[in-house]
Amino acid sequence: MSFITIKKETIKGSILFLSIILISFFSGKQFLQMHKKDIIIQGPGISSKVKLSVYFPLLKGTPGDTDVYVFKGKEEGGNLLILGGTHPNEPAGFLTAIILIENIHVDKGKVFIIPQANHSGFTHNDPHEGNPQRFPIQTPEGIRWFRYGSRLTNPVHQWPDPVLYVNPSGQKLSGAESRNLNRCYPGKAKGNLTERIAFGITNLIKKEQIDLAIDLHEAAPEYPVINAIVFHENSAELAALVYMELQMEGFEFRLEASPKNLRGLSHREWGDTTKVKAILLESANASHGRLKGKPSVALIIDGKDKNYVKASRIGRLFVPFDEKGIPLKVRVGRHVAAIKAFLSNLQEVELGKGIDITNFPSAREIIEHGTGIYLEPPK
Amino acid sequence: MKKIILSIFILHFFIVSALLGQEKKDEVINIFEQPILITSAGQSAEVQIASVLAKRAGLSAALSKAAFANELKGIRTLVIVLGVSLKGLGAAGLDISQETNRVQILVDDAQRKNIPILCLHLGGETRRGQLTDDLINTFLPFSKMAIVVESGNKDGLFTSICKENHIPLIVVERAVDALQPLKKAFK
Repeated sequence: MSFITIKKETIKGSILFLSIILISFFSGKQFLQMHKKDIIIQGPGISSKVKLSVYFPLLKGTPGDTDVYVFKGKEEGGNLLILGGTHPNEPAGFLTAIILIENIHVDKGKVFIIPQANHSGFTHNDPHEGNPQRFPIQTPEGIRWFRYGSRLTNPVHQWPDPVLYVNPSGQKLSGAESRNLNRCYPGKAKGNLTERIAFGITNLIKKEQIDLAIDLHEAAPEYPVINAIVFHENSAELAALVYMELQMEGFEFRLEASPKNLRGLSHREWGDTTKVKAILLESANASHGRLKGKPSVALIIDGKDKNYVKASRIGRLFVPFDEKGIPLKVRVGRHVAAIKAFLSNLQEVELGKGIDITNFPSAREIIEHGTGIYLEPPK
Repeated sequence: MKKIILSIFILHFFIVSALLGQEKKDEVINIFEQPILITSAGQSAEVQIASVLAKRAGLSAALSKAAFANELKGIRTLVIVLGVSLKGLGAAGLDISQETNRVQILVDDAQRKNIPILCLHLGGETRRGQLTDDLINTFLPFSKMAIVVESGNKDGLFTSICKENHIPLIVVERAVDALQPLKKAFK
């Protein structure tokens, strides 16, 4: 009798142990899927691809090192930096950067594009949020998949968070913000991984004498700074010109000055510590918000959500939101339109700093036909 | 019959007068002088758009987002761009009550010096809200003319204040459309 009892317990224990092993194995395998890199195809206009560690060697071999795509025109002109993926759960910025990488030719000036500014943030995706790990984009010749990462650096790469984070500009923030790239500027050479990424980007701006830097973001529809151009005071006139040009083309934006007391953000620290005209663009992403329903691939791509329609009806949002939602193609189209408007007005405020780009994707076509028409087919 | 004809004539007279009056409203010309001081009430970034518009209109304008009364020296017109931005107030290191006091002092001084005020609201519907509306109600009645973007006047707030205070109101579709009326408004 006693033998049978022991045997039953052993069997139960073994099943439990095996279940734990299996769950750990499959969830671990799923978790590691996030480390599988996105395929970014080098377009015909690229002059070179370098690592961010070229500008800050201490990043070499770390999860923070990331690709910088360089486009050099035959003629001297201005220098532009475009950042996507500062927050890897804001796909419009990342996708805009990829579309530009795969299409543009630069005739005058230099363009630097970093599609995955926080490379580490693409290797996890906040499991508690229940977001999909990847989202598909249909191209004319097949589907391409891209990661939907986290706002923050992977804690596996930077751990533990302090209780209180004092960023390089001296502002006190909650501990987790120590892994938010857009709170860590201008960065620290001997800081944590995120601060070192920020330091590398600031170094790039300085060494390449960037004239205009644009950081591409998305935000929740309930966030007041939405569909917005946030500008450092050194680029106020440029931002106003762009606002009006966009309005003439049928794109409504909000214009917001970068607050001097909000430290550590790209639009503040880039402008303060370098000579660059610092801009941040925000589009409205329902999958990013707190009011959203079930997280899904459809929510990321189609941007439709009943809760946001209700919230809009009772005046709780800062952006119009109806049953049509705000699809990814619209969010990317707005970013593309704004970048183009900045380029067309840069020459006006900075003589001799013009940047001429051909094969620039059309914002209207992206909005009408989707982002896939400007992406290379999957390989 | 005569009475009917007379009534039609009178009605026609009033309709034509009203239409002409409206047209006249839309063509407010040469009522302001230069140089101009452009300032914000609420620290929204539309003050920057006003500055670019003034530059495009070829006007002699100085931009001071948080101007004080001493900056009115030599100024012939004060342009106030209405619209509250919390980010903008933060950037200027002001809260809404400090901002309201600053603009009130500026407006009082302009009144004392007979400097006319032109109010602009260029941010449209997204730049409305309780805080902005409080500033509109407080400062718009002091203006000699107002130019506003149509979507910001959906509820007729600007129309009613301007009507009550006999202020010519120009409504434009987009901020960029404010250029021509702005140009025409200055000598």
